[in-house]
Amino acid sequence: MLTQASFFILGLCSVFLSIVMLTRKWPVTAAMLLIVVMMMLAGMYGVLGAHFSAVSQILVYAGAIMVVFVFVIMLLNIPTNELRYGRVTLFEWLLIFFGVCIAVLLGTRVGQGYLMIESTAARAHARAPYYPVSFNENVKNVSSLLFTDYLWAFELVSFLILAAIVGSVVIAKKARVNHVNKSS
Amino acid sequence: MEFSYIQILSTVLLMLFGIAVGAQIAPIMSWVERRQCAFIQRRLGPNRVGFFKYRVFGLAQPIADAIKLLFKEDFIPPYVHKAFYVLAPVIPVMMGLAVTVVIPWGSHLIVGGEIVNLQAVSLNSGFLILFALSSLSVYGVTLAGWSSNDKYSLLGGLRASAQMVSYEVAMGLSVVPVVLIWGTFDLQKIIASQSTILWGFLPNWGVFYAPVSFVIFLVTIFAETNRLPFDLAEGEAELVAGFLTEYGGMRWSLFFLGEYSMMFIMCALTVCLFFGGYELPWVSQHDLILWLSSVVSETVARWLLLPLGIVVLLVKSIVLMWFFVQVRFTVPRFRYDQLMKLGWLYLLPIALVNLAVTALVVAFVRFH
Amino acid sequence: MSISLPEMGIYFSLLLFLVGLLGIMLRKNIIFMMLAVEVMLNAANLAFVSASVLTNTIDGQVIMFFVMAVAACEAGIGLALIISLYRARNTLEADDLRILRG
Repeated sequence: MLTQASFFILGLCSVFLSIVMLTRKWPVTAAMLLIVVMMMLAGMYGVLGAHFSAVSQILVYAGAIMVVFVFVIMLLNIPTNELRYGRVTLFEWLLIFFGVCIAVLLGTRVGQGYLMIESTAARAHARAPYYPVSFNENVKNVSSLLFTDYLWAFELVSFLILAAIVGSVVIAKKARVNHVNKSS
Repeated sequence: MEFSYIQILSTVLLMLFGIAVGAQIAPIMSWVERRQCAFIQRRLGPNRVGFFKYRVFGLAQPIADAIKLLFKEDFIPPYVHKAFYVLAPVIPVMMGLAVTVVIPWGSHLIVGGEIVNLQAVSLNSGFLILFALSSLSVYGVTLAGWSSNDKYSLLGGLRASAQMVSYEVAMGLSVVPVVLIWGTFDLQKIIASQSTILWGFLPNWGVFYAPVSFVIFLVTIFAETNRLPFDLAEGEAELVAGFLTEYGGMRWSLFFLGEYSMMFIMCALTVCLFFGGYELPWVSQHDLILWLSSVVSETVARWLLLPLGIVVLLVKSIVLMWFFVQVRFTVPRFRYDQLMKLGWLYLLPIALVNLAVTALVVAFVRFH
Repeated sequence: MSISLPEMGIYFSLLLFLVGLLGIMLRKNIIFMMLAVEVMLNAANLAFVSASVLTNTIDGQVIMFFVMAVAACEAGIGLALIISLYRARNTLEADDLRILRG
């Protein structure tokens, strides 16, 4: 009962705060609100029993990725009068209305889609070895799957991260103008 | 998920105890720091402030400091971004105190037929919470620098947070070999494995299994807590006072409260991973309980060993923190480019090679 | 209505995803668009973890790590692009980037 209530409150607060975040005027405030949203999501993962995911969400997402965001926003130092922030036009209200309609439509379809969960679960359980979700062996199960079944993806993602590091350093460098040496 | 009142009560009490210890360490460490600084510099330091007529080595100096800081005018400069200016000192304190929940104060007690683990939050992904929350305390520095609306503060804040983020990488990588050796993230199991004897005369401590990890971890926790030789952020001679320029009074001291409690946490984690935690070096708590069980029952024996475990843990942590203070007044400060070079070009490769070698050795030992 | 915990998680993930999508469509500041993309990625993560608890397999949590790594790469490169864009055009609004008339 307490877990359901806390999950519901965390979920509602995260949706509400993300709506608030996207309607802010200052980017730094929005980034800080996104950090709070990520911590609430980490709380939701913890309530679901995936505590390794919760801790790594805080470590990686809120503690590293958002730090990069906040750095860039602070270093860009945009003057306040250049931030365009106006009223919501009619077109935007129409977009929001259609977004809510899609949410309602998908919500009821998703509810019907859960009938397929049993067959998916049966197929996943039939494949051996099958790693169940367990609270006391969460790290062990996640890492044993990470290094056996998903090993290729793991190594390729490490290459991807390397490429991203090199790429972001190259893209963000200032263009150097070659000075022609005048020899006389 | 069972809801027994004993477990809830014990968790709450352990959390409160952790917060209390974390918050009280800061004034005590400020006194230790000033006295030790003075002894290193061949003078006496604050030894006058005492209770009533007795100068108890100046131990009431932190209380006097706190009273002075509390009565100072709380001045918010008009040009700062108020929300973040007020929020920024809270973040290091919050993280420094919230992370005390993973410290194991003892092995376990038996209360009313139930086993009460003397670690408030004992998850399978044990002490990763510490790294997670300490990576969040970067925001305190960043927000303090930015919200002060001041060139020096912004530069100091961004440099300090870049330093903290850089050394987090090496910190995490240097702890992974320790986890490989002990085979678990759970601090209680790690400390329990460290209670035997190695090679007949040494305690089975982690520092003998992973010395390189210990050295790297020690260096990185200096950088994480912005202590000398890595305290470019608060260096008095540079950047006016860095990100602390616009802060005064109690807000300023909140940053140091957070820094000291984070320092205590990191020292406590070092002690738990590398120096046996709450276990005495050669006499494990298991042996003591077996010896005491002949006199009293096991429950009472565990209650008797609870203060022993806490005292041993605190003594070991305080010895390590005294080492922090010694280093502060002995070693000169790093320049910023030297600092970043050390973090990325020296510590990271050494940590990676250490991880690879440890993984190979552990695999060889365990599977042959 | 008795709804299980991970199923509620999937509904929340749907809501968060749509909030992020509307955020991209409605906000024209590039930094806000990147923040909305992060919200969408987090919604996908929540869906994966809820699905893993729903089917009692651990695969969803493993995939969550890959999504997180990809999100980190994308955020890094996106921010580097934002920096070089700001240096070149001195603006951060997507409406101002209309040299190609499209």
